[in-house]
Amino acid sequence: MLKRNALLSAVAVATLAVTAAPAAAQQILVLAEDVPAGLDYDGPSAAIPASQQGMVTLMEPLVGYAAGPANEDGIGMPDFSKIEGRLVESWDYDPATLTWTLHLRKGVKGCDGATFDAKDVAYTFARAKSVSGAAPIGWFLSNVASIDGFTPAVFGDDPKAKELGDEVKIIDDYTVQIRQSEPNALFLPVLSIFGLLVYDKETMEKHATEKDPWSHDYANTQNAPGFGAYCLDKWSKNQEISYKANPDYYRGKPAIDKVTVRRVPQSSNRAVVLRTGQAQLASGLTPKEFDSLRTAKGVAVGGVTGNENLFVHMNFAAKPFDNPKVREAIAHAIPFEQIIKTGYFGQAHQWKGSVPSGYPGFKEAGQYSYDPEKAKALLAEAGYADGKGLEAFGDAFQLSYVAEKESTLGPIVNIIQSSLRAIGIPATLNPIPQTQYGDRQLVKGDLPFAVNDQEKPIGVDAGYAVQLFFVSKDKGGLNNMVNYSSQVVDDLWAKARIEPDAAKRTEMLGQIQDQLAADVAWLPVVEYKTQWAYSDKLKGMRWYPDNSVRYFDLSVQ
Amino acid sequence: MSSQHTLETADMLPRRRRDWLFGLGLTIVVIVVALAVVGPYIGPYDPTLTTPNVSVPPPSLAEVPGLFSAWISGTLEAPPHWMGTDASGFDVFSRVIAAPRTDLVIALVANGLSLVIGVFLGLIAGYYRNAATEFMMRVSDVMQSFPVFISAMVLVALAGRSTTNIVIALAFVYTPIYVRLTRAEVMSQKVRGFVEAARALGNTELNIAIRHVLPNSLTPALIQASVTIGFAILLTAGLSFVGAGVRPPTPEWGLMISTGANQIILGEWWPSVFPGIAISLTVFGFAVLGNALERRYDAS
Amino acid sequence: MLFRYISKRFAVGLLQLIGLTIAVFFLIRLLPADPVSRLVGMNASPEAYAQAAKQLGVDRPLLAQLATYLGFQPEIAPGLLQGSLGVSWVTGTPVTAEIAAYLPVTLELVTLSFILALAVAVPIGMFGALNPGGKADKGVFVYSLFAGSQPEFWWGLLFVYLFFFTLGIAPAPLGRLSPMSSPPDVVTGFMTIDSLIAGQFDLFVEALHHLMLPVFTMAFILSGPIIKMVRQNMARALQSDFVLYANCAGLPKRRVAGYALRAAMAPSMTLIGILYGFMLSGAVLTESVFSLGGIGQYAINAVLNYDYPAIQAVVLVITAISLVVYLALDLIHAAIDPRIAF
Repeated sequence: MLKRNALLSAVAVATLAVTAAPAAAQQILVLAEDVPAGLDYDGPSAAIPASQQGMVTLMEPLVGYAAGPANEDGIGMPDFSKIEGRLVESWDYDPATLTWTLHLRKGVKGCDGATFDAKDVAYTFARAKSVSGAAPIGWFLSNVASIDGFTPAVFGDDPKAKELGDEVKIIDDYTVQIRQSEPNALFLPVLSIFGLLVYDKETMEKHATEKDPWSHDYANTQNAPGFGAYCLDKWSKNQEISYKANPDYYRGKPAIDKVTVRRVPQSSNRAVVLRTGQAQLASGLTPKEFDSLRTAKGVAVGGVTGNENLFVHMNFAAKPFDNPKVREAIAHAIPFEQIIKTGYFGQAHQWKGSVPSGYPGFKEAGQYSYDPEKAKALLAEAGYADGKGLEAFGDAFQLSYVAEKESTLGPIVNIIQSSLRAIGIPATLNPIPQTQYGDRQLVKGDLPFAVNDQEKPIGVDAGYAVQLFFVSKDKGGLNNMVNYSSQVVDDLWAKARIEPDAAKRTEMLGQIQDQLAADVAWLPVVEYKTQWAYSDKLKGMRWYPDNSVRYFDLSVQ
Repeated sequence: MSSQHTLETADMLPRRRRDWLFGLGLTIVVIVVALAVVGPYIGPYDPTLTTPNVSVPPPSLAEVPGLFSAWISGTLEAPPHWMGTDASGFDVFSRVIAAPRTDLVIALVANGLSLVIGVFLGLIAGYYRNAATEFMMRVSDVMQSFPVFISAMVLVALAGRSTTNIVIALAFVYTPIYVRLTRAEVMSQKVRGFVEAARALGNTELNIAIRHVLPNSLTPALIQASVTIGFAILLTAGLSFVGAGVRPPTPEWGLMISTGANQIILGEWWPSVFPGIAISLTVFGFAVLGNALERRYDAS
Repeated sequence: MLFRYISKRFAVGLLQLIGLTIAVFFLIRLLPADPVSRLVGMNASPEAYAQAAKQLGVDRPLLAQLATYLGFQPEIAPGLLQGSLGVSWVTGTPVTAEIAAYLPVTLELVTLSFILALAVAVPIGMFGALNPGGKADKGVFVYSLFAGSQPEFWWGLLFVYLFFFTLGIAPAPLGRLSPMSSPPDVVTGFMTIDSLIAGQFDLFVEALHHLMLPVFTMAFILSGPIIKMVRQNMARALQSDFVLYANCAGLPKRRVAGYALRAAMAPSMTLIGILYGFMLSGAVLTESVFSLGGIGQYAINAVLNYDYPAIQAVVLVITAISLVVYLALDLIHAAIDPRIAF
């Protein structure tokens, strides 16, 4: 049996609680692109980062990554090799029965004085399995983690399939057992993700109605009751949300008593207000604005090369992108350095791989250099010397990107478009609204050519990324937006997925990444820094894989 | 502003002054039309290719003469960026003069389309008054009661950003205006003597409607068109400004203002200000011209 | 007689709104956009997709959806007949409540801009008409043509550059109050009025300060057509028989001008009504520049998110307000000029 305890995290908690005890009541104003549109992670707005920020502020996960050292910008980094307990204090795993026994933390209190226990965990999974919300993320994550019974059958007509069976079993008030259907290393990583944050059953059920037994309306429009560091204070959608510190938070009362998040849609406006000192934290600025704030007085800019990246998406199902030579030619026509300089003001580096370079299991593979001559030669080999014959694919060469990101992506797509035309490829630009982009990328899978900077695999594991993006669609590659299909990758992943030996699994993942690079499955361009601008008095910034800030970490000095 | 065709009665300005204003309007319009033809080819840079120079401010007024002579004498490696460059490295000047190709063509085609459809429907509705044409007028009323800007925005955003869709959206909001104008004029024309005379001569009703009533009823619609072209340019630019217009990197004034808008608050004014001046003058030019036509018509 | 006139105008307006409702309903659904995919996001399995479609009710036949929307199936969901504009597909909040939060921002902006524009434009237009052919009249005329044909969003930006960035006398274009102030309790939704009701005079001043540039921008654009109209109607009235008679009778010039103004304003009402409706919809540009969360911003969000109930509601509400304004102005017109009602 595998036994782990969370002594280390207990020490960390103790030190934090001591050092962060503030004298006066602290409060901060945060400027964000938006405030949560809803707080239900199975609800219609869960895909929006602003909504996720609200969820992680109010609710707590079962486990999380241990804190690692700070990076060169002074931002605390997670230690991906170490998962520690949060609402779970410790756990045992029995490989014979594929069962995880979770020992829950005692004395954890929510905002209305509710106490955390096994019933809350069972409620959370039962709600996920009910798939009663608009977008069943809880079910999806449980499915990715191979929790028994969380299969696509829940969407069928049999109401029994939607009910939680004995795969999640309450042993006593502070012990829960969860059974998997097969060995799967993603179990613990998945429990740290926002889509399985634990609800406070009592409060949720108080707001249930006959039509809405799982309180989706309540979570979407009123509150998400959990056991997080903050409690909801005031929430006016599209304007402002404020949080008050949860005095009973199990890791100690947060240093900042009140956090107000104000919606300021234009990024330049967020930059200006931050510069005046009226606000303490701003996110989602353009690289140019971050750059201009770097020299501003009283303002600090910090960033993390976490999991954000930009790649060119070429759809194997669209001619001429089925031609490997054309793919390679385009790969050599991208002026990486100019993009890093003009598009990111140096806060990026060329991405040499297919998964975030900081993730466990990453392997460096696929280096493309900017070489227009080589690109031209490859194009000629493909039968399109100087681009002759490519005019027939004018529609395919419309480079799509998300219109709402114009101020960040504009300069980059303009550069790409110009350099492609320089080697004879008739590229044009096609900005489309996020909604439509999502539809065509995910549902229809018919975007031929696109620039994408928003795929951050939220499960911190190379395998999670492979499963999501590169496995054939019929083998479960849900977000295989380029319709990539490789027998080699599919077979390797089928084995790696259920490989209990970590070293062997990593080895197989490495082979998969080599294959992806050889096929130019994606054309990786850069990994860019996730940045924040904040008052230089604000300390304690940490990065999490969902890119949401944990206000609990912060304090004003 | 879809301003009504208003009667102007008492503007007895001295002729010389009016001509001065008319001349200005005409000059602006002629320049814009000329740029719509040659603009994309005469700029120092390709309007849709980036340069490596990003966010370069325009030369100060004092530097302009020196730069100009250096440029003429060929001692410069590359032509100067007279209006600076934007955040992508596009040459603002080349784009400003290339833009009429987009703006004017959209405005002209959309107006032409709604003029043809509107006049045709207005002629029918005014000439044959029955249940069917009454219903048509009610539909036209409903169309006209749509909020102009928001309807156009919804149409383009949901149908997809393309020149065709913008033209269709503009035609959608402008057609009812022409229907109404033409119908009113037809109704007043068809009771006039020449119609009776044509009928007495044995012309068919259709023949009378097309050969006699139509030519006499066109004027208000044509005058309206000269005013509406200007407003169509404004609307096109406004749509681009909120992200429901032409696709980048198409040189288009509204789009250029929109891309530069983020930087203006940080002090980079040039990517927005120059295209704004261009729109401002162009639409003013059309307004002056339209106004002059209106008055000439009223005077006769 | 007046009552019959009102009820007839009212009935026509209502019919027009019904026609518009149905037209918008179908127009939106004819367009090639898919609202369901936005909901399912990254986990778009066909099962999840079907689930989301069911959730939105878009799996049902179009006519059934329309019936629900209009309120003929209150057992499924309340509709127009029950006074509901539906529930937003993004936030899950009733659209009526959201509109109630956004609309006052736009109404406040447009109304204040109209007041300012009228206050400036009427005297200028009158001045032009009273001095026909003079240099000043010429100037007034050129100004009205110029102001009426300007891109307001660009002037807004220019004002921001001049008054905020360069001179520093205007606040950053960041909404209705500075980000650190907390708004007064919502009573009317008009920031200026609510702050006075709450007795917070400092907030009132701050709200006016923030409204300064957007109101200037819109009033500048509006002043063009208003001056042009006042000047024309006034000039016409000055040539009418009753003014000639009043002049002959030797009434003071000031008094005659007053009579003429009254006569000139009556026909101007219609144009003011049209302008008001136009500005309600066109305010979206000014709102964008100054980050005012008005109905235009709401419309942009709704469009970007394919939030059909919200899009329908915006179009409907703006049209309804315009129609009410037309109606009210018609009534005023009828009151000034009784011939209309007959």
